[in-house]
Amino acid sequence: MNLRLSGLLAAAATIGLSAAAFADTVKLGYQLPLTGETAQYGQDFRKAAEIALTEFNGSGKPFTVEIIFEDSRSDAKEGTTIARKFVDNKEIVGVLGDFTSGVSMAAAQVYKDAGLPQLSQTASHPDYTKISKYQFRNIATQAQEGPYNAKWMLAKGYKTIAVIAEQTDWGQSVVSGFSEGVKAGGGTVVFSEFFNRGLKDYRSLISKLERAKPDAIYTGFFYEDGAQFLKQVQQLGIKTPVYSTSAAYSPKLLELAGDAAEGVHLTSNFLPTDPSADVQHFVTEWKAKSDGAVPGQFPAQAYDAVRIMLAAVEKAYPNPTREKVRDALAETKDFPGVTGKTSFGPDREAQKELVKVEVKGGAFVPVAD
Amino acid sequence: MIDPYYLQQLAIGLSLGMTYALMAIGFTLIFGVLNVVNFAHGEIYTLGAFAGLVLISAAAPPAAAVIFAALAIGALAGFSLERLAFKPFRRFTDEASLKSRAMRESTLLSSLAVSIVVREGLEIGFGSQMQSIPFAYLINTPVRVGPVILVTGDFIIFGVAAAMLVGLQYLLTRTRTGLAIRAVSNNPLGAKYVGIDTDRTIIVTFVVGSMMGAAAGILTGLYYGAVFPAMGFIPGIKAFVAMVMGGLSSIPGAVICALILGIAESMATTFVSSGWSDMVAYGFLIVTLIFFPNGLFGARRERV
Repeated sequence: MNLRLSGLLAAAATIGLSAAAFADTVKLGYQLPLTGETAQYGQDFRKAAEIALTEFNGSGKPFTVEIIFEDSRSDAKEGTTIARKFVDNKEIVGVLGDFTSGVSMAAAQVYKDAGLPQLSQTASHPDYTKISKYQFRNIATQAQEGPYNAKWMLAKGYKTIAVIAEQTDWGQSVVSGFSEGVKAGGGTVVFSEFFNRGLKDYRSLISKLERAKPDAIYTGFFYEDGAQFLKQVQQLGIKTPVYSTSAAYSPKLLELAGDAAEGVHLTSNFLPTDPSADVQHFVTEWKAKSDGAVPGQFPAQAYDAVRIMLAAVEKAYPNPTREKVRDALAETKDFPGVTGKTSFGPDREAQKELVKVEVKGGAFVPVAD
Repeated sequence: MIDPYYLQQLAIGLSLGMTYALMAIGFTLIFGVLNVVNFAHGEIYTLGAFAGLVLISAAAPPAAAVIFAALAIGALAGFSLERLAFKPFRRFTDEASLKSRAMRESTLLSSLAVSIVVREGLEIGFGSQMQSIPFAYLINTPVRVGPVILVTGDFIIFGVAAAMLVGLQYLLTRTRTGLAIRAVSNNPLGAKYVGIDTDRTIIVTFVVGSMMGAAAGILTGLYYGAVFPAMGFIPGIKAFVAMVMGGLSSIPGAVICALILGIAESMATTFVSSGWSDMVAYGFLIVTLIFFPNGLFGARRERV
């Protein structure tokens, strides 16, 4: 099928026809973990993407868009294989994903060589967009979020801070981004350590961390690990305040950790309680597809990423090529998404506004300071 | 005077080790004692946890009923697993087939296949997200023992593991069924010739071992408060290492090694980054294989 299509395309090209002449369907690729240990994130991304796509295709545009989903299982090898597959499919003009920075960056090498634009909804490692002019992301990086949180914590009067994060590319960037911020602000990082994602028992690590007697703890983890960590902090009777990144922002954190999550501070760029029509529309659609569950930040990121990509494709229409879609993406200015306005800077980094949030009475509540 | 910090780490290590031991007991019974490779034990553990979760969310029964549900599912799963992945390969009873390595390796693959199907099936049915267990059922109320903080679950898991160990030793050494299991483990063909119903014996072993695996799953689920389809993998590896260290066929050996493993991991966290503590298990595995090919407790020829 693919072979025959690319043959057709080649034939079309030789007789001087453009691809768009017989394609009223524009194709996008989306690589994401649909199975494996991080499948819960990939499944949510797909759900969010389908909401965005249904809306787009139902809005009477002169063309329709199809998204091809491929399962990367959060494995860098799978990620690059998928990237090659997408690159070889000449109909694909843009790619979304992957979930983790590690896999996104591995696949980015392939997209870089082929000149296929890639927009990740979540890869927040500082080096990701440095790979080539084809890499975009619509999430705040740890290089932005770390110093922001460091400033927040120092302003609260915490001088000595312990940092822990998962042992991944992303976790490394959490620690380095934050530690630099703390140093610059005159504080001290008294303890920093990495743990393996999916660790169930944090008690040894927590005991070791408490030996350094920090004023506060800064953590780089996702909600599963976060919930276990918080529960065990409570178990061990430790009262040190815990701060975290937006990665832990999920209703699931509250569900899994219960009252152990009380008092946790973190940043986010999506609040499902935001009364704006766009956010409420997305929340309603999401609830209808998820047994009434409220979306966290990650599905919102994916929803926005897909819509930014669709807007770029529309801009590049009627003759969308990979290069044109890239340029259209790069021109994205103040895109009104559910995670706030997105503009890509010259470095293809999204400038996002972060909201300070605290867990109070079993809910995420925005706080001023 | 010992630094209370080390006492706390020791206590954490023991409690960690007990959760590994809980898994290792049933695992060693099937894998080691019966001498068949069963890679689906981790999924039996997961099934036990999900059975408990489903019952809790459907009927909110007393905790004891949850454990019994897990045991029942474990027994059923053990029986079905044996039927699906092991029995078909025992069709040929001639000596050449029994001695052929291909026969043994095929069950390795068939049990692996079953484990993948079960795990993916659970993912389709429940999603791969962590499912939370209602807080009323959790067994993690903190308990202060001198300078050390433990939780209620530590004592429950210790009690259950001890009961499993004693019960199993009694079964294996004092009952006819146990005698039959040991006979089959030593020489299946010989056991058959002297009139032991080998099929029945193997099924009983699978059922008992899987009930223990399922109980381990639900207890750990109640202990950590989260249940998800991939939860059996890491404990499976730790139980495997404990079993190899213990000498493959010794259940008390596996339990002791599980405790050593837990303590070593929590102590290692003090000296190296927590990210490296998983290396401890693999390190032990390598050291055992190089220096103690029979395991620490498996020097004797006789099994069990």
